[in-house]
Amino acid sequence: MSLLVGVGISEKKDPFLAASEAANLAWHQIHHSKKIDLALLFSTIHFADKRLLEGINYTLGPVKTLGCSGAGLISSKSVMKYGVGIMLLSYSEKIKFGCGAIADISAKGARMSGDEFARQALKDLGTTQRELALIFIDGLLENSSELLRGIKDVVGLSFPIFGGSSADNLTFSKTHQYYNNEMFTHGLIGAVFSGENFFGIGLRHGWKPLGRPHSITEAKGNVIKKIEDRPAVSIYMDYFGKSREEIEKSLIRMSIYYPLGLYVPGESEYLLRNSLRIDADGGLVCQGDANQGDDVRLMMGTKEWALDAATQAAQEAKDSLADRPIKGALVFESISRNKLLGRLTEQELSRIKDVLGDIPILGICSYGEQAPLKSLEHYGETYFHNETVAILAIGEPHARI
Amino acid sequence: MPVSNVLKEPTIFETIINFAGLFGLLGVIALVIVIIFTSEKNKNLKTELKKLQRAFDELDGQAKLIVQTDLELHRAQEELDKKIAGLVTLQKLTRMISTTLDEEEIFKKIDEKNLTEIGFDRAIAFIKDEKNNISIKLSVGYTIEEANRIVEKMMQHPLIVDKIFRRSTIFSSLDTDKTTKEIPEFLHALEIASFICAPILQKNGVLGAMIFGCESTYTHLTEGDKDLVYVLASQIGQALENAKLFEETWRSHQELELKIQQRTKELTQALEEIKVISKRKSDFISAVSHELRTPLTSIKGYASIVAAGKLGELPLAAKERVEKINLHSDNLTQLINNLLDISRIESGRQELRLEPLNLKNIVDALGDMLAPPIKDKNIEWLVDIPADCPAVRADKTQIERVFINLIGNSIKFTPSGGRITIRAKAINPEMVQIFVSDTGLGIPEKDLDKIFEEFYRVDNEVNTKVKGTGLGLSLVKYIVEAHKGKLTVSSQYGKGSTFSFTLPKA
Repeated sequence: MSLLVGVGISEKKDPFLAASEAANLAWHQIHHSKKIDLALLFSTIHFADKRLLEGINYTLGPVKTLGCSGAGLISSKSVMKYGVGIMLLSYSEKIKFGCGAIADISAKGARMSGDEFARQALKDLGTTQRELALIFIDGLLENSSELLRGIKDVVGLSFPIFGGSSADNLTFSKTHQYYNNEMFTHGLIGAVFSGENFFGIGLRHGWKPLGRPHSITEAKGNVIKKIEDRPAVSIYMDYFGKSREEIEKSLIRMSIYYPLGLYVPGESEYLLRNSLRIDADGGLVCQGDANQGDDVRLMMGTKEWALDAATQAAQEAKDSLADRPIKGALVFESISRNKLLGRLTEQELSRIKDVLGDIPILGICSYGEQAPLKSLEHYGETYFHNETVAILAIGEPHARI
Repeated sequence: MPVSNVLKEPTIFETIINFAGLFGLLGVIALVIVIIFTSEKNKNLKTELKKLQRAFDELDGQAKLIVQTDLELHRAQEELDKKIAGLVTLQKLTRMISTTLDEEEIFKKIDEKNLTEIGFDRAIAFIKDEKNNISIKLSVGYTIEEANRIVEKMMQHPLIVDKIFRRSTIFSSLDTDKTTKEIPEFLHALEIASFICAPILQKNGVLGAMIFGCESTYTHLTEGDKDLVYVLASQIGQALENAKLFEETWRSHQELELKIQQRTKELTQALEEIKVISKRKSDFISAVSHELRTPLTSIKGYASIVAAGKLGELPLAAKERVEKINLHSDNLTQLINNLLDISRIESGRQELRLEPLNLKNIVDALGDMLAPPIKDKNIEWLVDIPADCPAVRADKTQIERVFINLIGNSIKFTPSGGRITIRAKAINPEMVQIFVSDTGLGIPEKDLDKIFEEFYRVDNEVNTKVKGTGLGLSLVKYIVEAHKGKLTVSSQYGKGSTFSFTLPKA
């Protein structure tokens, strides 16, 4: 039996009915297959309710469900501000996956949570050869890199991890993660898959450096404390000619359009960091970490560069699958890109479809993306990204015997 | 001892030292030269480096300029995108709202999805009546109780009330006028980061208000957003007005419908009653006529005998009286026969013997029969019935009565030298129409509707002189209608009349 992928979308007001309708539509696309292996569920924040999960259960019966809320919903048809989407996957028995979930990352700490999640998923998977980890994490988590480090502690540095950070409607107050019949708000959930090369990853942002390079002279995890021995916030103050108070008021917005870029040797693009807030010492608190001695630049994006990046990311994902037919794709697009592109967001989707073809696509506008870097210097190690479009193409698998 | 001028030969060691000194000196000189040269190069390099640094700083300065300009461009672009998206949704909403004629449905169109599309997260809409009673019509992101509480609180602020309800303007978190101090408290009550409150305007003033809010502090409301909410609220006000008008019209229509139904019922009842009365009347006339005809036959019989002098010659005065009795008996018999015929036709007791009839033959025969009075009055008699005129299917005796009555009337009301014309033609595949026209007295317009009523006689000089029953045309009408035909009349007073009737083709 070959891999079947179906996607259903609904805008019904009631979460239960919306989930039920989306599940039915997706189920129809996989020809009402009796064997549904996995349901990936995404919704805008309006539908974040347990009734959403009850709707899937009511329609499809007990099915393993993973997903999260987003600031927008991406499907093959459009990018929506309001809706529910479900992707159903029906595999051959040659593919296996093990799930894991951490309900509250803050209770255990980011690194420990990553570690425990990986152990759970691997235990559930068994002894089969593993291929990729798919994760969804709370988008309000301040140091996602630490969480990734915890997962890498168990699965190894070069093991590919792909995922997205859940989002809300830009209030940055509460995001949600869906796991079977449960809904978390500070969680980490996901699965580790086995099989052989049936996932292809593409990753690009298109932002380019502006101005001269600056050196990080002090950093602690996800906090860039000092740049060139001055409080890190001064980089924004200098470039925008504004006071700290003014920057503080508009930091997230400013950081969406002008993130910080960390130079990554061997990579064609910089690693982007959005700043969430300014700490008491003027340090910039980011979602991903940075290191002392790293070169940092102020980055700038344009709509055309962002659209080109989408084409490149899709091409990269397609190339990774070589000649295997692409059955579907997951797309995590940073909400920053969505903001930058404005009405051209749909064009980004068109660019992806131009490369991947008219396949079932599902995803969210996220608060962060997790995917591996490909250069030799990084040995395929997964990093936390901002402002990026991350595409996971799902191809027809070749089973490992 | 004298001083010797002889120089001592230098030792090898001294020679080496000397050479070394020389080379040292040369080395020092070379070193000095190199140092001087290097220092010059360093100086040049430093100068170049400084230049480079300056260029770099200048480029960085330009970068700062670029980002600052770019930030403004982004802001303008964002506003434009938001405005366009808002306008698209506004147009969609307006279309939906303007085609809705139910007050509740109008507010239902502003659901969470549409609200999100125009860039807001929460909404409240309320209307107030003449007694200032508040009624919440829309609540997205709040329970009805919360919405009630918020609106009540809002109505306690005179500045806000004045702004929205008296001046019909917008109150928003962007305001910088005297209502600004009210904003934080209002934001706190709404539990949102920004809001726009617009009046729901109608012709007669402000009906209520709509509050649209954003939860995110990162969503920036603009003047464009204010315009958008204002337009939407105005559209809703207009739609509500339309809905009210429609409801009023619908209600009055319903009332009218109800009245018509009631009146129809009453009329049906009245008609049934009339039918019953009419039947009773016919039965009564029939019974009375029968009862009258028997003694009348005797009266007429005896009067004829007496008048004929079979019982002896009468004195002239008595003979004249008896002849009058005889004449009036004939008239009375005619009247009773007509009444009986009408009664029979009306009650359906008169059985029609339908057969194909040639109209020309009938009219010619009747022409012969009526020739004496026609000749007496020197009336021109014209018959225009083409040979190919279709035959009609009718009861011969009854149709002859129709012709006799109509032609009789024409003779009666046409003065000497006048003309009577009989025409007939097929008017459609089913019917033939017959016309009896004269150049007589004519009928006044006011009487045209009444001449077919029983016992109605037009008030004219002829009728004053000549007695009649007033039943002839009624009988004609009944006979024509019993044949599924229609009797009509057209007349010009003083110029003549045309009676026409239709009969089915054979």
